[in-house]
Amino acid sequence: MYELEINHVSHRYGDYRVLNDINLQILPGQIVAMVGPSGCGKSTLLQAILGTHPPTEGEIRADGVLINKPSRNVGIVYQQYSLYDFLTAEENVAFGLKLDETSLPSRIFSYRSYAKKRQVHLRKAREFLEKVGLSSAMGRYPAELSGGMRQRVAIAQAFILKPKIVLLDEPFGALDETTRQELQMMLLKFYQENLKAKQRGERPEYTIIIVTHELNEALYVADRVIGLSRYHTQSEKGAMIVYDRPCPVFSPDDPRDFSKLVEQREELRKAVFDESYIKDHNKYVSFWSELAQDSQLAATAAANQPAPRRIR
Amino acid sequence: MIRRPIPRWLAIALGVGGVVLLLTAYSILSARQTRKNENQRVIPGWQTFKEGAARLVRPQGSAEDPQPSMLATDLKATYWRLFLGFFTGVALSIVMGIAMGAYRFIEALLAPVMSFLAKIPPTAMLPIYFVLVGTDQKMFTAMVALGVFFNMAQSIYQAIAGEVKTVSIDKAYTLGASDPEIIYEVIWKQILPSVLDNLRLQIGPAMIFLLAAEMLVGGEGMGFRIRMESRVLNMSVVYIYLTILGLTGLMADYGLLWLRRWLCPWCVR
Amino acid sequence: MKILGWTCTLMFLLSVGCSGDKPTTAGKTGGPAPKFTLAWSEYPSWSVFGVADELGLLNKDAGKQGELEKKWNVDVVLKGVDYDTCIQLYGTGEADAVCITNMDVLGSATSRNSVAIFPTSTSVGGDACVTVGIDNLEALKGKKTYGLAKSVSQYAFERILTARNLNPKEFPFESMDPQAAATALQTGNDSIKSIMVWNPFVMDTLKKVQGSKRLFDSSEIPEEIIDMVVIGKDSLGKDGSKRFAQCLMETFYTINKRMENPETRDATLVALGAKFSNLQLEEMKQVVTQTKFYTTPAEGLALYKSDKFKNTTMPAVVKFCVENQIVEGKATVGFDKADSQLNFDTGLLQGLIDGVESK
Repeated sequence: MYELEINHVSHRYGDYRVLNDINLQILPGQIVAMVGPSGCGKSTLLQAILGTHPPTEGEIRADGVLINKPSRNVGIVYQQYSLYDFLTAEENVAFGLKLDETSLPSRIFSYRSYAKKRQVHLRKAREFLEKVGLSSAMGRYPAELSGGMRQRVAIAQAFILKPKIVLLDEPFGALDETTRQELQMMLLKFYQENLKAKQRGERPEYTIIIVTHELNEALYVADRVIGLSRYHTQSEKGAMIVYDRPCPVFSPDDPRDFSKLVEQREELRKAVFDESYIKDHNKYVSFWSELAQDSQLAATAAANQPAPRRIR
Repeated sequence: MIRRPIPRWLAIALGVGGVVLLLTAYSILSARQTRKNENQRVIPGWQTFKEGAARLVRPQGSAEDPQPSMLATDLKATYWRLFLGFFTGVALSIVMGIAMGAYRFIEALLAPVMSFLAKIPPTAMLPIYFVLVGTDQKMFTAMVALGVFFNMAQSIYQAIAGEVKTVSIDKAYTLGASDPEIIYEVIWKQILPSVLDNLRLQIGPAMIFLLAAEMLVGGEGMGFRIRMESRVLNMSVVYIYLTILGLTGLMADYGLLWLRRWLCPWCVR
Repeated sequence: MKILGWTCTLMFLLSVGCSGDKPTTAGKTGGPAPKFTLAWSEYPSWSVFGVADELGLLNKDAGKQGELEKKWNVDVVLKGVDYDTCIQLYGTGEADAVCITNMDVLGSATSRNSVAIFPTSTSVGGDACVTVGIDNLEALKGKKTYGLAKSVSQYAFERILTARNLNPKEFPFESMDPQAAATALQTGNDSIKSIMVWNPFVMDTLKKVQGSKRLFDSSEIPEEIIDMVVIGKDSLGKDGSKRFAQCLMETFYTINKRMENPETRDATLVALGAKFSNLQLEEMKQVVTQTKFYTTPAEGLALYKSDKFKNTTMPAVVKFCVENQIVEGKATVGFDKADSQLNFDTGLLQGLIDGVESK
């Protein structure tokens, strides 16, 4: 079963075709980076996956369940405004637990049992905040937090509910370089947790699509990169997935050495961002065949073994 | 230097000084006017104020049938009307404002009408109130309530449009919120500071609407007394009432500011 | 609506304290014309001053003179405002003279010594109790009558009941602005079935409300409610003030002559009607029967000299005002007594009759 399945999704605004026949399957524990030129339909696809704007054609399923409205199956972290101004950091993180596990009438009419649950929620929230390195600022309001702290809270808020998949929409776009690196490191740690979970035979907790315009970031934090673009032979029908390949996996302990990414980054740039390079849209879509060909990789996927580092 | 900070004791001393200055200026003005005409009651002296106040608190009616003083009667009437009207108007406007801010079809249906009605002073529609709610207590309540309602509903609706981001609502859905939960846990909590700020802004108009109505209808209330006493130039009584009204506004203002700090610690300005 | 005016009045009250006295432009005969202000409100015998402005007898603006202003070498400034505002303008000294009733002037006079220089009219039906579905006084008992408290309406209401040997206490009177009361009755509101108001609201209500009835009116108490022109005693001390008074009187009696002259009668009534609730000719003809003008100085003088007015009416009015807390203590009323708070002065009327022009 896939965590996310996108089947023949097309979208149009009136006569304007944005997306054309998008097909994508994401496995549990994958961190998928999505890149593409601005205006290529990334937001449209993201909104479709989130369920706020269902596609005009095709269907999207999370863990087999059809997505036609936003639900707790798909979480999201925006570049900004992800947090609720009126809740402290820990209350923001506990917000999902509160909404998901109690109802408005129960909070009012059986206040006592709610108060007990509330303590549990807040404790869980604090634990998660400690995990993302925010033990000192739990009682502060978003306005009192730095941009990096806010994004950590937002990520904790989205993941604490254990949704099938979490969309990170340019999550580090507004941050300074140091903070950005710290948060990228956090995603690498999540990936390591996924691997450990797989080793234990459990379902990994962090399945992510991260949208970013930084190609290095995409290749650094993800284990798979997809490119959305109109620069292909059926351009008039809308953007398609023109790139879908595995990419190197970094461990948090590895040096941040982007030199080994150069080759794939250039390939990605050409395939997705080069306006003059018109090709068949399937030319670089080889994730599944590579997975099948590469026995080791396939075995990893099948046996829930950690994927080896692959450098091209 | 512009905006150079001053010590706190100086700020307090200057505040008190301002009041003293005002009272002194008044005393001088009053004395000057009295020199010109010893019977004048337009800028009455402090003695006249004392007499006016004494008359206000003197019990009315006869020995067999004592009645409360004018002041007691008027304050009770006016504040009860103000409270009832304000409460009704605010409660309705919160419901309506949120409904407009939350549901597009209600917004499309009502927003244009509301913004039109918000511009019309309710006091200009007195005959309509007579037809709809008569001339007694209900009329005062309705006038204050509707005077507050249209403006308040509109500003709540605008606060929702401006302060509650669509992404916050979508986000709440992804955290498992139901529609009522979005309204209470996201929209209401986000706009609460705006609601309290707007409440403060509405107190003034509400008092003006009520006083203007009381000047025309009914035999008690502060508006009635101000009209009657200013007709015969008992300005001491009028000024006492205006002072009470001013203090009421001031206290309500501070009360709501305090409430805002207490309820919305996240929104400090 | 008038209520908007009330909102303004609130603000006016706040600003009153700030306005000082205007400097007296002391003018001698032949010199620059001294300026005097008259505050008038719409009422049949007071709208005369608005008509005079239209006819060019007076010019309402400061610095401009009409025919009679030039003759008397004064600059009369006319302020046409709400009645209550008139009282306030006069009480604060903003206006030298005011059109006011013999009852309301008592409140002003206790604050500013006043001289009633001439009466303009008396109500003989212009104030009335109008009812719907109440056909006699017996039926009115215990039912609320709405009208402006502490005004001529309440005075007339209680005075007429007393004159009919009834106890006013059995007839509750509830305060409401006359225009609002008339509107409320016209809207057919269940809670209001009886109002005591003055013209034009009396005529207007009788015309518009089917089944409405004039239960009783001020024709039962003629020459008790008097409309007049009053000047502050302080203003009478200024140079040229007598010429100002004489100018007002000549203006008033000139318009009265135009109303008696068959050639100008209708046109004058129409002009008055335009300044009185936009009434038409036929309605104005009715109005002037209910508001009897003192058309000549002699008629005015006769009122001021009448024993009944001196010894019965004015004391009764004062008593009513004291009882209703309109004035604190007794306002002193005198006839040709300069030191009383309200002095009915016959000198100017007599002077006009004698044809003596003061310098």
